[in-house]
Amino acid sequence: MAERTSGPSGQEQAGPAQAGAGSSPESGRQGAGRQDGVLQPTAARSRSRRGIGRDVAAWIVLAVALLSVPGVMDEFFAYELGLYLLFGIVAQGIALAWGRAGFLPLGQALFFGLGAYLACYVLPSGGILATTAGLLLCVLAPALLAYGVARLVFARRHESGPYFALITLALVMFGFQLANQWSSVTGGFNGISGVPVPFDLDRYSNYYYLVVAATLASTALVAWLLRTPLGTLWAAIAQNENRLQFFGFATDRLKAWAFAVSAGLGGLAGALFAGHQGIVTPQASSVVLSAEFVIWAAVGGRRSPYGALLGAVVIGILSTYLRDHFAYWEIVIAVVFIVVVMRFPDGILGLLQGLGRVVTRRRPSAPAKTPEAGVTAPDPAYRREAAPATLRYDDVVVRQGSVRILNGLHLVLDRPGLHCVIGPNGAGKTSSFNVLTGRLPLIGGHLAFQGRRVDGYRADAMARLGVGRKFQIPSVFAELTVADNLRIAQWANRARRRDLLRMATRDWTSETMARMHREFPFLAEVAHRPAGAISQGQRQMLEFAMTAITEPVLYLLDEPCAGLSVDETRHLSAVIQATVREAGAAALVVEHDMSAVESLADSVYVLHQGRLLAQGSFEDIRGNPEVRAVYAGGQK
Amino acid sequence: MVELLNLVYHCLVLALVVLGLAVVFGMLGVMNMAHGEFLMLGAFSAVTAQSAGLSPLWGVAIAIAVCGVVGWVVERLMIRHLYHRPFDTLLATWGLSILMREVIELFYGRGYQNVDMPFTGSVALLGVAYPSYRVLLMAVLVVLFAALALWYVRSPSGARIRAMVGNPTLAQAVGISTTRLATGAFVFGVCTAGVAGALLAPLVRVEPAMGLDYLLNSFFVLVVGGLGSLAGLAAGTGMIGGTQVVISNLFDQTSGYLAVLAVSLLFLWLKPNGLIARR
Repeated sequence: MAERTSGPSGQEQAGPAQAGAGSSPESGRQGAGRQDGVLQPTAARSRSRRGIGRDVAAWIVLAVALLSVPGVMDEFFAYELGLYLLFGIVAQGIALAWGRAGFLPLGQALFFGLGAYLACYVLPSGGILATTAGLLLCVLAPALLAYGVARLVFARRHESGPYFALITLALVMFGFQLANQWSSVTGGFNGISGVPVPFDLDRYSNYYYLVVAATLASTALVAWLLRTPLGTLWAAIAQNENRLQFFGFATDRLKAWAFAVSAGLGGLAGALFAGHQGIVTPQASSVVLSAEFVIWAAVGGRRSPYGALLGAVVIGILSTYLRDHFAYWEIVIAVVFIVVVMRFPDGILGLLQGLGRVVTRRRPSAPAKTPEAGVTAPDPAYRREAAPATLRYDDVVVRQGSVRILNGLHLVLDRPGLHCVIGPNGAGKTSSFNVLTGRLPLIGGHLAFQGRRVDGYRADAMARLGVGRKFQIPSVFAELTVADNLRIAQWANRARRRDLLRMATRDWTSETMARMHREFPFLAEVAHRPAGAISQGQRQMLEFAMTAITEPVLYLLDEPCAGLSVDETRHLSAVIQATVREAGAAALVVEHDMSAVESLADSVYVLHQGRLLAQGSFEDIRGNPEVRAVYAGGQK
Repeated sequence: MVELLNLVYHCLVLALVVLGLAVVFGMLGVMNMAHGEFLMLGAFSAVTAQSAGLSPLWGVAIAIAVCGVVGWVVERLMIRHLYHRPFDTLLATWGLSILMREVIELFYGRGYQNVDMPFTGSVALLGVAYPSYRVLLMAVLVVLFAALALWYVRSPSGARIRAMVGNPTLAQAVGISTTRLATGAFVFGVCTAGVAGALLAPLVRVEPAMGLDYLLNSFFVLVVGGLGSLAGLAAGTGMIGGTQVVISNLFDQTSGYLAVLAVSLLFLWLKPNGLIARR
């Protein structure tokens, strides 16, 4: 996904992306990484560089086209176009939040209006410096508001759902009411008129170039963000937010950042809109305008900043001319929008790109090998402490409806190595994992990990403490390439905020990453295929590889070999054993296959009806009459 | 006393408006953004009845017919194809809401419509004179909700619906036609919105853009109450309706709206499953 999306990158951003590899503090700190870094020009790296080249080319074409408008057409046309370029900036923000991160803001006019009203107060006064500071305020205030709202709404969720969209709609309704009624500040229904043009520009001639500069900057920013590791994480959120949380990413924060950027773009456009129109009325923060922003982004193409801009300019200008002459115009637009949503999720730009591929018969870029060489990633914090895993369940109770799933579970794990968890269906095996990783509410009792009480910790917080989880049904990012899936695991619990904005982070690698490629050679062969397109067995191995790459202190493996053939089971079991043992980590493995338990386990925990029935070596367990009674001789 | 009656009236009406949205979202997982527009369609049914020289109460029948047909067509052409794409249903129904608004605007114009009270006068209730149309409305709604609750808990269809909500795959496996049930649920949901619109038409502002308020208020109720139970619906209605009436009386409409918005945000943050979660 990340590779395919095309878009430009501003020169200033392209620079550090190429030069940053050797100069980042992480690689500087680690001598070995530096040497690996010398082996840079791998296939993947040159491929991403080609992509950036395309981005820059597209951006330059856009710049030339926009700058030549006043000469080719006339200044009045340029003035009119300016309005839709500003709207396009808002639509680009929507493309970022919805097209990439997968949550839908329906009330972007709130931020647009906020920027516009603020501009009436902060822009008219002062010289260049004061005006620039004022413009900054018009961007930051909406961004801050959006960040706060997103943190509130997303804090306790692992999907985006419709609630966020409706909350943004409710907010814009409130903004509209406020703009109408708070007359002393907003001028009420009639708004604020006579807004001067900032920087002493001429509204009908050279102000257009300021608008173009903003458009180009916004386009470059969005296109660059989509290419960064952060952009990949946003795509991962849209596909499988749950999985990302188990890698330790606080997805609510990541989404809040995306929303803040999109609101900031809205605010910027709004501020420039005030100078462009000279008047700001409540219509600037209306539901109707919010709706149009989303329609433009959808029809133009929500996957790229170009699509969104295209939608705003084309549909916007058509609307201006046709609205008054053609009574059914709004109806046509509504129908087009519905059809696009149902049939053409990539909008006009997607159609054009598809057409372009048919005409030039250009196949998608040939699969390249995954980067074996790269920059050594820093260790996760929990690896640096290097304490062996200790885990305690103390009288843990979990209830679902009237059923007690865990009924006073006591379980202590204080040794490294592999420990199998067995028990009949409904014994509470998976639930014991779920309660530890914050997916089931703890009704009673306590949980402790590394001596720290972790009752009610969220999934991402547990992952950041070094608990790595693999699910029974492999959970990966289906539309991202296998290489990107592995990258995300490589970034997990290692990348700091600024690392997520560096292209060099994409080349991170580690001993475990290399080891997983040795153990599972197929990973390199399918590196550039979407993870959803490889076989179930390969996905099991991919997900284990991803879990291992985060180098957890404690592995939680839920039937890691489910659905594998005998040979594959043997292979994966051996890899699990070797990986866990050599890292000095501990693993809890849910397993039904007793022969696998016998060969894997250093010790066995038997759960029955939500309690610990027995624990000990495999022999102890086999001889235990209570365990026999539970299984009633029914060995699988 | 009047305040108390107002509160009860407001909550009952809100419950009727929410009902359809809750049924569709709870059963199909579809957030019907055009819910408010179906209500608007109902209100314009009353307008049409009146302009044809009939009592506006005929609007209820027209609303059921119109919303039933439109709902059935929409379910066939749109909703059914998007069951596993929740975002796209959200957007498509949102597009539908714009479409419906524009079509009504084309026929009736943008302005307010006036619908007369079917009957005027007032009755003494709890020691105060209260408009008789409102009293009738309240009585009808109480009976309606009681009947619905009984039907849901006792009837075979109610059992089928509960089975489908609990586990659609299993429901299908034991021979329940979930597609038909889903169509039925959607049509039922939008028809209740239409009925609400027709009944409310004499009392509220009627215009093509009226739907959004009702959608948002219903959404707030879902957030606060939680999905999947009648008790949650009642709790959410009480909470949102109560907050709205009390704050609006103390300050003004905008403050009332801000208050319910704030309450909903708090719930999303602290209690994302609402007051009464299904599980």
